[in-house]
Amino acid sequence: MERTIVHMDLDTFFVSVERLINPSLEGKPVIIGGTSDRGVVASCSYEARRFGVHSAMPMRMAKQLCSQAVYVRGDMELYTRYSRLVTDVIAESAPVYEKTSVDEHYLDLTGMDRFFGCYKWTHELRQRIIKHTGLPISFGLSANKTVSKIATGQAKPNGELQVLSTQVNSFLDPLSIRKIPMVGEVGYRLLRSMGVATIGTLRLVPPVMIEQVLGKNGIVIWRKANGIDPTPVKPYTEQKSISSEHTYEQDTTDIMQLRQTISAIVEKLAFEMRSKEKLTGCVTVKIRYANFDTHSQQKQIPYTAFDHILLDTVLGLFGKLYNRRMLIRLVGVRFSHLVGGSQQLNMFEDTPEIANLYQTMDSIRRRFGKDAVVRAGGISSEKIKVKR
Amino acid sequence: MKFIITSLKLLRSLQALSGVLNSSNTLPILDDFLFKIVDNELFITASDLETTMIVSLIPDLVEGGGEVAIPARILLDTMKTFPDIPITFEINRENLAVEIKAGEGKFRLAGHRSDEFPQLPVLVDTSRVEIQAEVLVNAFEKTVFATGNDELRPAMSGVLCELKEDHMTFVATDAHKLVRYRRFDAKSEHNASFILPKKPINQLKNILSSKQDEIVVLEFNQTNSVFTFSNVKMVCRLIEGRYPNYEAVIPAQNPNKLTIDRAALLNSLKRVAIFANQSTHQVRFKIAGQELILSAEDLDYSNEAKERLSCSFEGDDLEIGFNSRFFQEMLNNLDHSEIRLEMSAPNRAGILFPVDNENENEDILMLVMPVMLNQ
Repeated sequence: MERTIVHMDLDTFFVSVERLINPSLEGKPVIIGGTSDRGVVASCSYEARRFGVHSAMPMRMAKQLCSQAVYVRGDMELYTRYSRLVTDVIAESAPVYEKTSVDEHYLDLTGMDRFFGCYKWTHELRQRIIKHTGLPISFGLSANKTVSKIATGQAKPNGELQVLSTQVNSFLDPLSIRKIPMVGEVGYRLLRSMGVATIGTLRLVPPVMIEQVLGKNGIVIWRKANGIDPTPVKPYTEQKSISSEHTYEQDTTDIMQLRQTISAIVEKLAFEMRSKEKLTGCVTVKIRYANFDTHSQQKQIPYTAFDHILLDTVLGLFGKLYNRRMLIRLVGVRFSHLVGGSQQLNMFEDTPEIANLYQTMDSIRRRFGKDAVVRAGGISSEKIKVKR
Repeated sequence: MKFIITSLKLLRSLQALSGVLNSSNTLPILDDFLFKIVDNELFITASDLETTMIVSLIPDLVEGGGEVAIPARILLDTMKTFPDIPITFEINRENLAVEIKAGEGKFRLAGHRSDEFPQLPVLVDTSRVEIQAEVLVNAFEKTVFATGNDELRPAMSGVLCELKEDHMTFVATDAHKLVRYRRFDAKSEHNASFILPKKPINQLKNILSSKQDEIVVLEFNQTNSVFTFSNVKMVCRLIEGRYPNYEAVIPAQNPNKLTIDRAALLNSLKRVAIFANQSTHQVRFKIAGQELILSAEDLDYSNEAKERLSCSFEGDDLEIGFNSRFFQEMLNNLDHSEIRLEMSAPNRAGILFPVDNENENEDILMLVMPVMLNQ
């Protein structure tokens, strides 16, 4: 059956939010990302892109390319709040939607054209989002996720584009293979070395050949070049995990410092879980050595949201994981298998004092801020962020 | 060695014994029943190394003596199919072939050498006490559900039996719920305590439930216990380790007392729990005035339930959360029409008692830990 899929993407989302709060940034090159030397660009305005800056570029390089830009540290919590506003508007009217990231949504409008006219309906939705949130947003409308996403890319900034199912190939053919979502730097170079530059050419290459070069993914990429993508729009589901990681200013082997960081991460994540009445059933610890070797280990535990239980588990895993005397660049902790509920108390281990202590600390944090009270073991000079 | 026995009599004993067998064994001989004939009496043994159970039967006819191990599964399956008819067993001493004749049928299977079968432990330095079967059945029924499954805490996977001069106490807990079952009509000359594993408890509970008037002789030492009654003898290894100090976690001051109809509460709880998160099963108890409001929600599916019950309550209004699974298990294991729930604070244990217990010699206390609700 023919489907109708919309891809909506907020234009330079982080920058747009910053401009909403500080209108003086309008028209200037703005770069958002970690302000330290080792940070990367999280988002940049179109003005900055003209200088060759793009996201995921090391901050240091961005500074060389565009020294006159306004640099902003970025506030993930603020962006999440705005992202939710957008999702709320979409949720109000869309039959099925999937939130794939903080600034991207897919909508499945299949069957709605009989009543509304999909393009008109989506156009009105886009206007509603702009009116409610003040954020510029673009959309692409086509027969599947891949084509819609590519169409959004073409529609940007602040535009809309419909690609009818009959026009899919003529729309894709002249575009660069870079526009296909799965083609990264390595895949692009490989294909270019084969003489493939546009999607139209890629489409004509026998799929067997692409599979030889790119492996199993090659087939998927070839299908996408042909405008074939059967993946469904999965409705937005409850958050299933919560995680945070920390990259050190300088690589370290200082066990004390590592434990401090881990303690601070666990404490923040556990507090967030308790605030949302969530418990975790699976703990994952990740470390990245200075040479970018990344290792992780996980463990299933009875559902809990208590710092002291989680910290024990996490430090235990970290002890097993960190077995090479090498500099560490990054540590991360993830709590997954989240379920709704409150901490089940244990009659032998959890005294009433412990339960009261957690509740008191949490209410202090809710009233005076997350950092108002912390474990002494988790105090360190570096700031830890929570993300999902 | 040859004997004749009616199939139903044999089947009943074999089925009782089969509870001891493990589904997969490291020692192949443990998949067998040991048959032994001494002085016209047939002894059948099943063992899993930890628990060994012996049943004695008088066959209708016995010729010769000796012993042989017979594969349990095949024997059980065969016996199940017979109506109540006499069955002849004939065992060839040379090759241990077992020949079974029943009616017009003739069946043959290979027996195994009896000396491979594990020996019964020799018990030295034992104490002896006699207990009414009814006491054990009730004690085990009321407690065994509360035992834990944590391999790291083996002591809590069994039931603690405390024998005192003026009473006996049976305790089970998994750190979230606890049951203390006390009987004042069962006594021991010497104070003693041991931890009995789950398997023999379930086994005893099932066998004794039809023999409540019998007297059970219990002999035990530091490592093993032996239960003897009618034609059954059960030897089981005790769980080593220290049982947690359970008396310390039972709060003494519980000013908030809720009295309610057990069946009504259980029914509402079952219903409301359907709408709770299916991993955590948490239900909120809100008690105000003479009203108990049960509520649950599952945000993932937008499920929500709320139900109001009338109760009698003395104390301050209170909001407390419980895992409904624990609570239902407890209510299910009480057979009194009214129960009393005593609480002190939302973060402290709730204690459940039956109201108006007809049996004056019985003292039942069930304790359940709450979940830490956000304030």
